[in-house]
Amino acid sequence: MTTKRKATKKSAKPRSTRAAMSVAISKSKPVKERVAALAEVPLAVCESDKDLQATLNVLRDQDEPIEVRLASLQSLQAASFSVIAFESCRADYIATLRKVATDPNPELRQRVLGILAREKDGFAQKKLLEGLQNPTKALVPPEKALQLLSYDIHSEAYSVARKVVENPPNEDAKREALRLLAADAKSAPLFEKLLRDKNENAEIRQISAAALQALKPEKLQSNARDILLDDSDYDDIRATSLTALTQFGDAEAVAKDETLKKHVGKMSEKGGAKVKRSARQFMSKYGR
Amino acid sequence: MNVELQINNSTSTRARFVSWVPSPCRIRITNPSGAASSHNMNIKLSSVSAASGGEVVFRKGTTGAFASTITLSVPINGTSVPFFVAGRFGRPSANNGDVKIEARLGNALVGSIKLMVRVRKNANNLTTGERDRLVAAFAQLNNQGAGRFADFRDMHTNVSSPQAHGAPGFLPWHRAYLIDLERELQNIDPSVALPYWRFDQASPNIFTLDFFGVSNTLGTVQFSPTNPLQFWRTDGVPGINRRPFFATNTAPPGLRTEAQTLALGNAYPAFRTMEGNPHGSAHVSFGGYISSIPTAARDPLFFLLHCNVDRLWAKWQRQFSRFDPAVAASFDGAANPIGHNLPDTMWPWNGITTPPRPPTAPGGALASSPCVSAPGPQPRVRDSLDYQGVINSVSSMGFDYDDVPFA
Repeated sequence: MTTKRKATKKSAKPRSTRAAMSVAISKSKPVKERVAALAEVPLAVCESDKDLQATLNVLRDQDEPIEVRLASLQSLQAASFSVIAFESCRADYIATLRKVATDPNPELRQRVLGILAREKDGFAQKKLLEGLQNPTKALVPPEKALQLLSYDIHSEAYSVARKVVENPPNEDAKREALRLLAADAKSAPLFEKLLRDKNENAEIRQISAAALQALKPEKLQSNARDILLDDSDYDDIRATSLTALTQFGDAEAVAKDETLKKHVGKMSEKGGAKVKRSARQFMSKYGR
Repeated sequence: MNVELQINNSTSTRARFVSWVPSPCRIRITNPSGAASSHNMNIKLSSVSAASGGEVVFRKGTTGAFASTITLSVPINGTSVPFFVAGRFGRPSANNGDVKIEARLGNALVGSIKLMVRVRKNANNLTTGERDRLVAAFAQLNNQGAGRFADFRDMHTNVSSPQAHGAPGFLPWHRAYLIDLERELQNIDPSVALPYWRFDQASPNIFTLDFFGVSNTLGTVQFSPTNPLQFWRTDGVPGINRRPFFATNTAPPGLRTEAQTLALGNAYPAFRTMEGNPHGSAHVSFGGYISSIPTAARDPLFFLLHCNVDRLWAKWQRQFSRFDPAVAASFDGAANPIGHNLPDTMWPWNGITTPPRPPTAPGGALASSPCVSAPGPQPRVRDSLDYQGVINSVSSMGFDYDDVPFA
């Protein structure tokens, strides 16, 4: 028992790169050990083409356990942060990611498409749009595709997102479509409508407030004021409205608005916990 | 009788911040009325802390032990007398002005000044006030995508990446980057210091609705309606994508611990392999913005992650006395790409936009500080090593870590 404890205790001195890589690519070793070995030495792939190719092989190989494949992906990703050292690996890495983007494993597909989308990779963007337009070709759920397309928004993505908002396959997809549209000035009226709709869920209204604040700040300010003066509206959106006015409001206009200040003063004493907290922050900025 | 106390040799309220590093201060008699002597008066300085506040210690010169009180002989004619103040290690402030220096002549209070022992702390242990001030400052800096934060986002992209990664300048560049950002946060709220995410320890308090948010299954980060980060916006897109591959009430698996990182070697070339693990590994313990270089800086958590990377370097520097650029083991003396050699200036602060530097230099010069002059507006790689002014006191950069002492 004592021997086992000693063997599993974390050593302060890491093992050599060679020793770690040999465990990482050995199919005869337990999955847990291989995953740990891959995490240990991400920069090994930059130092040896043999190690790079071995790690890419693990990632590509559908017969490998998925845990090991995901660990090899993470190790390559970590290495990619050492840009200069990783430069010579980059072409093989991206080519492998494109190949794995259509892998049968959904988690691996999602992670790989995420990496490619963050690199604004045209191949990934095309696949994501195709999947939204034709669900039989979808590599990831619509909400994930919309999220990944937001890394590099094109007009084509806006039109797809608008369709999703009009006819959402689920609430998550609607939410992600709205996030994407929050960069589209033409969508300001949509966000104003959603913000004022008490039947919408709190998160959709929160997103709408943030979008409107950026697209048309004066509209958000007037709508936030109306929401705060309406005691029948929900605490969450009232707290969001207070936070918007406190942090980003037109300070001069708010400071002169005695009706609003009087009302918020009451909220700081009588509202729910979130409203009280944000009302107090508002009052500490704008005074009574 | 009255005295004037100057912190960091300045009368500005914005200079009333100290860390573990001795700050140069001065005292002078501004109103001698009632003085019993026509020459010098013995003025005693002491530290008075608010509840849970910071504490400072004193010494007369650039060397010697610090004491909790000091008595200075101050000329009646108004000539100032220098002394040094430092935060007592282990007693940082939680709020601006929560420690006071009192000057007494006998029992009579003749002057006082409130200041803050401002150091970088473990983000998991911040008070509610510290947390709220930090997120508010970040939100203001971002200003829904229209603020100065956009420059920091633009400094860390695929195009600029070779200036900052994969070579010895990795740690110096990111140190300058953090100082620049922290000073901009302090321009919004001077009580803010950038905290660190200790990624080798469970940090459940960071991943909450009121702080850096809670990720849903898709990786979209959700915030409390009272959290101003709900208005975070980068590249025209609201919100933050961050999908943790670990339970956020635990530490990510597979990362080198602090002890393992500090044991990488006593020379810089060995130590800087930490760029892979734990640094790169910490980034990719998530999906979303933070997991790829071109998008990492869109997530404010990035700066807490890098603050911990910098803290590890600071700890390593302290452990092996690696502050002096003239000592070979403090850096990597091989011929390195531009921006990665000790004498090189660092982009973007140098404003150079001709190849092999990137074509634009967002943000201009590095932000100045009312407390210290280093590392200067256009820092070189070598300027980033002696962050506490151990080798040369003017090199002190005005930041410290709660668990890395000065001496």
